[in-house]
Amino acid sequence: MKKTFKKGGIHPAANKIADAGIRVLPLPSRVVLPLAQHIGAPARPVVAKGDTVSRGQLVAEGGSFVSAGIHTPVSGTVASIGELVMASGVPGQAIVINTTHESLELDEKERGEYWTRMETQQADRTLSDRFTAEELRSRISAAGIVGLGGATFPAHVKLSLRPDVKAEVLVINGCECEPYLMCDDALMRAYPGQIAEGIELMLKAAGIPRAVIGIEDNKPEAIAALRAALEDTPFNITVEVLRTKYPQGGEKQLVEAITGRRIPSGALPVSVGAVVQNVATAFAVYQAVAFDMPLIERVITLTGDIPESERANYRVAVGTPMSELPLTVPDDAKVILGGPMMGRPALCLEAPVVKGTSGLTVLADSRRRPVQPCVRCGACVDACPMGLEPYLLARYGELRMWAEAAASDVADCLECGACSYSCPSSRPLLDFIRLGRLRARDFAK
Amino acid sequence: MHLLIISSLLLGALGLLGAVVLYATARKFHVEEDSRIDEVEALLPGANCGACGCRGCRDFAVTCVSRGNLEGGLNCPGAAEGAMAKIAAILGVEASETERKIAVLRCNGSCEARPERYVYDGARSCAVMNGVGVGSRGCSFGCLGCGDCVAVCRFGAISMNSVTGLPEVDPDKCTGCAVCAAECPRHLLDMRPRGRRDRRVWVACSSRDKGAVARKVCASACIGCGKCAKACPFGAVTVADNLAYIDPALCRACGKCVPGCPTGAIHTTFKIIQKEAVAE
Repeated sequence: MKKTFKKGGIHPAANKIADAGIRVLPLPSRVVLPLAQHIGAPARPVVAKGDTVSRGQLVAEGGSFVSAGIHTPVSGTVASIGELVMASGVPGQAIVINTTHESLELDEKERGEYWTRMETQQADRTLSDRFTAEELRSRISAAGIVGLGGATFPAHVKLSLRPDVKAEVLVINGCECEPYLMCDDALMRAYPGQIAEGIELMLKAAGIPRAVIGIEDNKPEAIAALRAALEDTPFNITVEVLRTKYPQGGEKQLVEAITGRRIPSGALPVSVGAVVQNVATAFAVYQAVAFDMPLIERVITLTGDIPESERANYRVAVGTPMSELPLTVPDDAKVILGGPMMGRPALCLEAPVVKGTSGLTVLADSRRRPVQPCVRCGACVDACPMGLEPYLLARYGELRMWAEAAASDVADCLECGACSYSCPSSRPLLDFIRLGRLRARDFAK
Repeated sequence: MHLLIISSLLLGALGLLGAVVLYATARKFHVEEDSRIDEVEALLPGANCGACGCRGCRDFAVTCVSRGNLEGGLNCPGAAEGAMAKIAAILGVEASETERKIAVLRCNGSCEARPERYVYDGARSCAVMNGVGVGSRGCSFGCLGCGDCVAVCRFGAISMNSVTGLPEVDPDKCTGCAVCAAECPRHLLDMRPRGRRDRRVWVACSSRDKGAVARKVCASACIGCGKCAKACPFGAVTVADNLAYIDPALCRACGKCVPGCPTGAIHTTFKIIQKEAVAE
């Protein structure tokens, strides 16, 4: 029996309909780099309007320890630093860089050469020996790497463990349990060797003895590719095939599925000796250490109700305006940043692709069904992976009973949406739970 | 017949015994309550809104009477005109002047000025919509229009205007209890003094976006140009973060700031009669 997490979970239609290859999108003529692309303090610009910048240059440094620097994927001149409307519709600070035709051609050439070099590089099992853990962490930090699974937590922070904390296992998240999205799957198929080396580097950086890569059993090609790449590794890295179930990619669910240990309420995975990182983060770490390449490109999935020829994984520069993506959005369709379960609506398509963008899902018919009264069937309780009572928490939210919501552990909710998905009365459960979660912070126990 | 008499007598005796016990207990444990508490409570609106800081109207009345005065800001903002003076009279103290307040909406984004840009089909609640993003009208500061304020008003003073899509405060019903101001997730309801003869002037916008950004989403947004600040003879208008604010303590409701506003973001409760400037 393959492992999975114990409580709750649902099986939404996978709809992984995109072509599993990775297409390359040309660099944009104008990039928009928001200063807040990660959890933590926003980055501080280190360039001024009118400055000339070159590809890969640091344009904004991390504002504090829990922060990440931002690098430009193109050469050009800084056109402006100021407020621009972000994907959520709310204005935020961003650096805009304009390019010229010639500089773009040079950048494109350099980019092509780099990727060929990186893809053809022989696996080097001594790479991690050349650096101390300290050096590795500072390189990861300097490259502005954040968790690419969606939470965008700065990677170097998670790898800098306090001396009194003992981590036993590095859990690598290759689940991609979110329906529609395929970018991690594509990455694992295309670059298994690089990901494996990235994991080795992270083990060394954090001083953790072993790593387990969790992949759901609906990705057999990725599992085979990574197993082959890990054959001659000197490190203790294994692939764990997990039974497909949403939300397996949730930090707490994944650690429980792999190690069998439940993370206590309100605690971090490290409390049970685990550190969680995404496969895409491992790939970025490899590039940062082996080639000194900052995080300026990422793979995203464009999927959903768009022409079949457009449904694919794309390697794009961070900062590419979403309007420049090959995306034909039908009238009245909803564009979601990320997948349909946990994604957020994209209101402004002029906004750029950021480090945390895992894909864009277009849904033509996304209108909710009419809300009906709760029939007390308990489907939401069965579905909740955290063992909460969603019907109750939602009601607390509706009635503004924040203290009661806090006492019923609303803070444990990971907003996976399994409750709303399973509700036969299509009640807006998550809407009110999210509200309660936000307000209940004032009533911390 | 015999049985009927016995049972009636028995029940009667039991009832009498119970009455004696109850009477004795009531006498023994009698608590003398100040009759003024009931008098004060009768003058309060009875909405238990909590705006005074007490746990409801009865608690407020008990606090007033036990303190014996209205010092320390003890005031019912929701009480009817003159009710606080009557309460002061009951307590035998001087009535202090308290300014009556009213809720005003600091948003002017009607359906016409700020048409709907996105379709929101989540739960009908401003608080929920506020957590998702900018809201269906595209302004990250303006009214969301789901009517959370209407739902919490205990006096039925707020209603949704179906033409503008904005809530409207009925000045006759609003008691100034500020419950709506606390509920609005975007803090758009400002508690302002009613002013002399109900003359009020306020900036009906809360957008701190730069002028160009604010203007893009809403035709009647305050763009922070500062024309009103220049026009004000009393220095009541301040412009900060691209937004003008009229200080009610300094404003004399002359209305001089209103005609110059390029977007019509300043609202008044009275008509402005524009005088032609004499060019001589």
